Amino acid sequence: MTRRVSRGPLSRLLRRVRGVRSRDDERFLLLHLPAGLTLLLVILAMLGVFIAYSIPIISREGLHVFTDTTWRAVEGDPQAEWYGLLPAIYGSVYTSLIAVLIAAPLSVSLAVTLEELTPRRLRGSLSLLTDLMAATPTIIYGLWGLAFLAPHMYPILSWLSNHASWIPLFSKHPSSGYTIATAGVLLAVMSTPFAAAVIREAYSMIPLSIREAAYSLGATRLEVIRILLGMIKPSIVAGLALAFARAIGETVAVSLVIGNSMTITPSVTDSGITVSSLIASQFGNAGFYHYMASALFAGGLVIFAIGLAVNVAAVWYMKKWEEKVVGVAS
Amino acid sequence: MTGYALDVRDLRVTLAGKRILDGVSFRCPEGTVTAVMGPSGTGKSTMLRAINRLLDLNPEARVEGDILIRGRSVWDMEPYEVRRRATMVFQDPNPFPHMSIYDNVAVGPRLHGLARSKQELDEIVRWALERAMLWDEVKDRLGDPPSKLSGGQRQRLSLARALAVKPEILLLDEPTANVDPVNAVKIEEAIRSLVREEGITVVFVTHMPSQAVRVSDYLVFLYGGRVVEQGPSREVALNPSNPLTEKFFRGEL
Repeated sequence: MTRRVSRGPLSRLLRRVRGVRSRDDERFLLLHLPAGLTLLLVILAMLGVFIAYSIPIISREGLHVFTDTTWRAVEGDPQAEWYGLLPAIYGSVYTSLIAVLIAAPLSVSLAVTLEELTPRRLRGSLSLLTDLMAATPTIIYGLWGLAFLAPHMYPILSWLSNHASWIPLFSKHPSSGYTIATAGVLLAVMSTPFAAAVIREAYSMIPLSIREAAYSLGATRLEVIRILLGMIKPSIVAGLALAFARAIGETVAVSLVIGNSMTITPSVTDSGITVSSLIASQFGNAGFYHYMASALFAGGLVIFAIGLAVNVAAVWYMKKWEEKVVGVAS
Repeated sequence: MTGYALDVRDLRVTLAGKRILDGVSFRCPEGTVTAVMGPSGTGKSTMLRAINRLLDLNPEARVEGDILIRGRSVWDMEPYEVRRRATMVFQDPNPFPHMSIYDNVAVGPRLHGLARSKQELDEIVRWALERAMLWDEVKDRLGDPPSKLSGGQRQRLSLARALAVKPEILLLDEPTANVDPVNAVKIEEAIRSLVREEGITVVFVTHMPSQAVRVSDYLVFLYGGRVVEQGPSREVALNPSNPLTEKFFRGEL
């Protein structure tokens, strides 16, 4: 039964939204629309702040702030200050790429191990363990990296640089275990559970009929796994994009193991720095200088942009895939 | 003397403790079609999955009895060997969605190394698609994904994929249940000519008595997990010895 009620201007406005036809719908809309919009506004405001705070350094140095390698902080003399973010940007991208390259096989095999090769009885507890890995605060990883991983990586990296220094990756002899490689490995360990969760979810959604089709052609278990993994390629890409996002955004754990030196080197056995760790380590002092805070905000802007670019690329890839496999898979 | 391609002896299957098949025995002579008919839920699909050991994948399934493929017990072979020699086509078309039409057919031969060159592989793919009566419709678009095909075409693609591994036995689980009548006829024709010209042995599961009689040389009537009646199709159809069979033919079961 519908009651005729006189409506105020707000109600009339709300009714113009598609699908709103009752008082309940109106209330629902009034309650949820602002909540969703607020979050969007916060993100836009964040972006706005980062852009606004980056303006001083960009108007002084232009794009050099992103492409220069000099980092000169001078107290009391703004004209002598000069900030180039390139080593940090380079370090962020480099460590995250290493992390993703390591996380790719690890997460795929973790997902497959849990879904296919783990006895039913163990599956629950192993899943719990990987969930725990994902939920562990990053500072815990950082401390583990600082106290255990870095010292243990040192002999391996030394050996590599002694025996394979002709490969640019190992050209520099490490002065300690605090290197780009260590950061990459730590980031890989941290981001693998995230990628694995996405991949696993997709793997478990593969219809039984497809699985049976593969088996009934006489494929062995491993061959079936290979066929099925081909089917969830977009989810693997999505999982790795997530891993990359997590890696490039990670701060504390990285700054504890990367050595924090502003250098650009192809050698993973050298120390480096990332944008996030630069911000974390420098922001406390930024008040003493005229332009440093602005430079750090510009760095944040770069991380924003890279994260966005990776996401857009992943979405683009998945769209391409969907066009190819219209409507059938995921 | 013609041997038996398939010899099922006293097959008993339970799923999660529930008895599905209770001592099923029948034999399929080489190069014939045996239709296994019976009402829904009587264990026909389970029987097929027991024959090619797909039930191994189900931890709740228990299978007893013996199944011989050309005289050799499936329990003495690796499961993947059993499944290659007795491939299966399912009720719902299930091509791999991420592979092209060509790759769907080529995946089996590639797994088993059946082709030594691209040319040989092309030939197998063409042969399988022709045998499944799909070649003329797809020969100019082998790179398309299966999603561009109709349901009936997808089912014939599934058939071609199963044929491409050159099986001795083809297990068909109501392959026409979910396709339109035109495609159903095409699939039935493809099956008949496969048996006639390639000597493949077919086990065709269906719940439709008319189809069972139409496609088969031998009939097995399964009811309640047991074989109620079996024999040459014409004999069973014209002269059923069991009142249950008669009822089934009249559509009363």
